Amino acid sequence: MTSEHVRDELSAYVDGELPPGRAMEIADHLTSCAECASDYAAMLATVRTVRAEITHHRAPDVLRARIRTSLREEAREEPRDTVRRVAPGRVRRWRIPWNAVAAAMLLVVASSGITMVAASRRASDASVAEEVLSSHIRSLMPEHLTDVRSSDQHNVKPWFNGRLDFSPTVPRLEEQGFPLLGGRIDYVQGRPVAVVVYGRRQHVINVFSWPASQAGAARPALRTRNGYNLEHWRQGAGEYWAVSDLNSAELRTFATLLRRADSASAAPSRYAP
Amino acid sequence: MPESTLESFERTILPLLDDAYSLARHLVRDEHDAQDIVQEAYLRAWRHYAAFRGDDARPWLLTIVRNCSYTWHHSSRRRDTIEYVDEEHGGGFGLQRPTDADAIESSDRSELQQALDQLAPEFRETLVLRELQDLSYKEIARVTGAPIGTVMSRLARARRHLQQALGIGAGERR
Repeated sequence: MTSEHVRDELSAYVDGELPPGRAMEIADHLTSCAECASDYAAMLATVRTVRAEITHHRAPDVLRARIRTSLREEAREEPRDTVRRVAPGRVRRWRIPWNAVAAAMLLVVASSGITMVAASRRASDASVAEEVLSSHIRSLMPEHLTDVRSSDQHNVKPWFNGRLDFSPTVPRLEEQGFPLLGGRIDYVQGRPVAVVVYGRRQHVINVFSWPASQAGAARPALRTRNGYNLEHWRQGAGEYWAVSDLNSAELRTFATLLRRADSASAAPSRYAP
Repeated sequence: MPESTLESFERTILPLLDDAYSLARHLVRDEHDAQDIVQEAYLRAWRHYAAFRGDDARPWLLTIVRNCSYTWHHSSRRRDTIEYVDEEHGGGFGLQRPTDADAIESSDRSELQQALDQLAPEFRETLVLRELQDLSYKEIARVTGAPIGTVMSRLARARRHLQQALGIGAGERR
């Protein structure tokens, strides 16, 4: 065996990709040939350096969201080859999964043990969660996040006046690490809702709110869907959903801060400067 | 309730997104192109998911990403990318593009990155599939459509090049 042949195969030898017999021959050769041994050491050093230093790129969250959205759109299409683009413009029609709702209702009727009211409420909570999440994902696409872009609550809050029949609370949480990014109007369950947008590092948090249809407060409840976390609570006269790909602990912290700020500001001075 | 096709796809293929994106980034370099390519690749993967037999998902997906990268390169949809000029970007500190999130992590284009950029595409892809994705020669052959012997020799040559570029001499450095 010549040293030249060995040198050609050192790369595959490092990877353990040579047939066992051939690998043994090279191992033997390396113990007796100083030149090949030093070549082998250099090859090993190169492989180690490359593996240690080559960049592992992490896919941006926005890409993840874009792919999820387009998969959902594709999966909904019956003939798969027709491509439907997201309709331009701010106002988007929502598809309520009526068949899913109907199926849930049917199940309720069939199983007599569960009360009708509780189950339909659960079904509607689930469909709200689905809509809120779709809206969150859509908002991550370019130019969809905010209608009013500002880190100043005194710009964001008045912007909603006249556009909605209620006024969302827009507390400042920047010092706690949740800068305000802006706001927009979206549609959930066929009605316009306020969305106040906060950031956390590279993550986006969408806070949806609208007047509650049920009385009584509800503590935050966490749901996880497709890697997104959703916190849902009811406070004062408002229904709130906070959605993000932020981890659940930080989202819970955020929800707690928001509720606290909300209860502090809501009572005495709603339009205080 | 039985798992839907979309759920199964999201469980098996979606978690490979970082791998897919990483490969695309090394093949086309521009982050926006890489994002578009990966999105396209995922759509294609979804459309062909029925043909996926449940054997190793990673080589399967990476094959699609790789093919999309080459199609992209030859298509008109490609953005007019600014080619990196080594002299300009290698040593200049103020020239980092701020939109590149990775630029924040590695404050400068590394010596290794420059050496990788000098490799011809077929050598670079083979190397990336091996060192970054840790695929076997057989899997690399499947992804690139080259015979195993070719994979072996491309890898050997690519490593020789990097060894020289990084200044790793026999018995020296590290």
